[in-house]
Amino acid sequence: MITAAAPNDYVALRVRGLKKHFPVAGGRKLFAVDGIDFDLAAGETLGIVGESGSGKSTVARCVVRLIEPTAGDVWIDGKSILGLNSVALASAYRQIQMVFQDPNASLNPRMTVRQALHEPLQLHLKMPLQAREARARQLIDMVGLTVVHLDRYPNELSGGQRQRIGIARAIAVEPEVVILDEPTSSLDVSVRGQILELLLDLQEKLNLAYLFVSHDLQVVRHMADRVAVMYLGSIVEIGSSAQVFGMPRHPYTRALLSAAPVVKWGEKRTRLRLSGEISSPIDPPDSCRLVGRCPYEQPSCTMGRPPLMAIAKGHSVACPIVVAREATAQLTPSIGDLMTTTS
Amino acid sequence: MTEPLLEVVGYRGAFRSPTGELTPVLHDVSYQLKRGLITAVVGETGSGKSLVALSTLGIQPPSFRRTAGRILFKGVDLLSMDEASLRKVRGRQISMVFQDARAALNPVFTVGRQLADVFQLQHGGTRAAAMAQAIEALRLVYIPEPERRARQYPHEFSGGMAQRVMIAMAALVCQPELLILDEPTTGLDVTIQSEIMTLIVDLCKGRGLTACLITHDLGVVVETCDEVVVMNAGRVVETGSAEAIFTAPKNDYTRKLLAASQLVEAA
Repeated sequence: MITAAAPNDYVALRVRGLKKHFPVAGGRKLFAVDGIDFDLAAGETLGIVGESGSGKSTVARCVVRLIEPTAGDVWIDGKSILGLNSVALASAYRQIQMVFQDPNASLNPRMTVRQALHEPLQLHLKMPLQAREARARQLIDMVGLTVVHLDRYPNELSGGQRQRIGIARAIAVEPEVVILDEPTSSLDVSVRGQILELLLDLQEKLNLAYLFVSHDLQVVRHMADRVAVMYLGSIVEIGSSAQVFGMPRHPYTRALLSAAPVVKWGEKRTRLRLSGEISSPIDPPDSCRLVGRCPYEQPSCTMGRPPLMAIAKGHSVACPIVVAREATAQLTPSIGDLMTTTS
Repeated sequence: MTEPLLEVVGYRGAFRSPTGELTPVLHDVSYQLKRGLITAVVGETGSGKSLVALSTLGIQPPSFRRTAGRILFKGVDLLSMDEASLRKVRGRQISMVFQDARAALNPVFTVGRQLADVFQLQHGGTRAAAMAQAIEALRLVYIPEPERRARQYPHEFSGGMAQRVMIAMAALVCQPELLILDEPTTGLDVTIQSEIMTLIVDLCKGRGLTACLITHDLGVVVETCDEVVVMNAGRVVETGSAEAIFTAPKNDYTRKLLAASQLVEAA
């Protein structure tokens, strides 16, 4: 809940009640993000997973105000950024940076790597030329490239190399928080592994907090300390990586995890199937968003949106049915325990 | 061991630049597709996996030149066929499902009409009979309300539903012997992906279809395929049963690819 109290010092990024409603034809509204709260501690990775249309990228973009949120608030390092004017916002970007999915689209094709790296140093840190050049050389080395790459144009680099430049640009000003929006989705698996290792390495060295948005469950499991699962604009489950992947509770999380293939011979999955496809985010009814697809649906599910409720320390689920079952399941095994196949 | 339905033998090819230079991209590619089995061709971007499949149907990019090799379908070389005989093979005997189903469907005709057109082209008969077959095919790929959906246009279908339409067209309406699937689930969400793969496996096994699944996603392969062909940089580096490839890979590249795909185990 939004309170006037100053956020704790160690929370690098705090998001409360974030909403984004896009207007669509006929005066209707598309509820892309509909009330999201989370905290990201310094040096921590929070993974946001969900399928296309779940609003995970919109969250990432709202947090850095590439899209203006409809409602809610975002604090970076204790300061709210939603009220900032464009000048103040630009200086807030010292603290928060973003790496985009498609490095082809996010790098200026007419700028060399050197120019691309100098730019944030000049804008944010007002560094003199010599210092900038020294820093650019340091950055290119940190992301595993060499000084010869400084004079290249993006089209002369491979996808993996371009993503490394995207990362170098993001860490150039030493931010506290880096938003990673599907950073490996356009890469082959062998390159994906290298980029993830680089990100982990940089996080350790620079104590970066990552908001890691991805549809790739395996990647998120590899990277994240905590995971938030999104479905149609809301978080349906949030917890530590071990909790969400090891003991998924929300029916949607379980369906999602049980659908993800595991690259292991002889691995048998027990599928939890949801009927139909993701429903429309345009003017959704005031009920659980999984109504109509959920195998555990009860009449009460259509009465209002279920809030996130804690079932264990740091593990919350937006499903009263599961929470009630969990409360009585201390003696008998719960439905979730039958679903241990993804471990 | 049954005789292979399709056999790629020593296939080599190159891209021709506007100045006439040839850049070799396929180096002595050989593999077999055994009857009734699902064979996966896996590899990363640029490994040449799709190029071989496109060559099978004679729809390789215009700048591509074959320099050696044959692709034998039931013992006949597809690469030396003229356009007229190739037409008889396309669709009727070999059909293909592409990655982006909504782009592969014609946006200006209804889905039912496109399916019916293909049915009439391949099997003849009346318009009404063809439309009935089209609706039946949609029903078999679990599209709800097939009569209504048949009257809709491709843009009214979601990515997963459009892919079902493509599978209905390629596997059920065409009734081929060999079904080639080029990254059929890339770009689809995991829940949809797993439904589509279940559908593909059920259709192939139920109808004794031979299938070739081209993909970069080993997770899809491990659960669905019988045989695996691993390609890297225009070469086949390893072939074998899915079990052998996943449990005892012999080639270094295969091992690397497996390790890179198994992030959690590597952690």
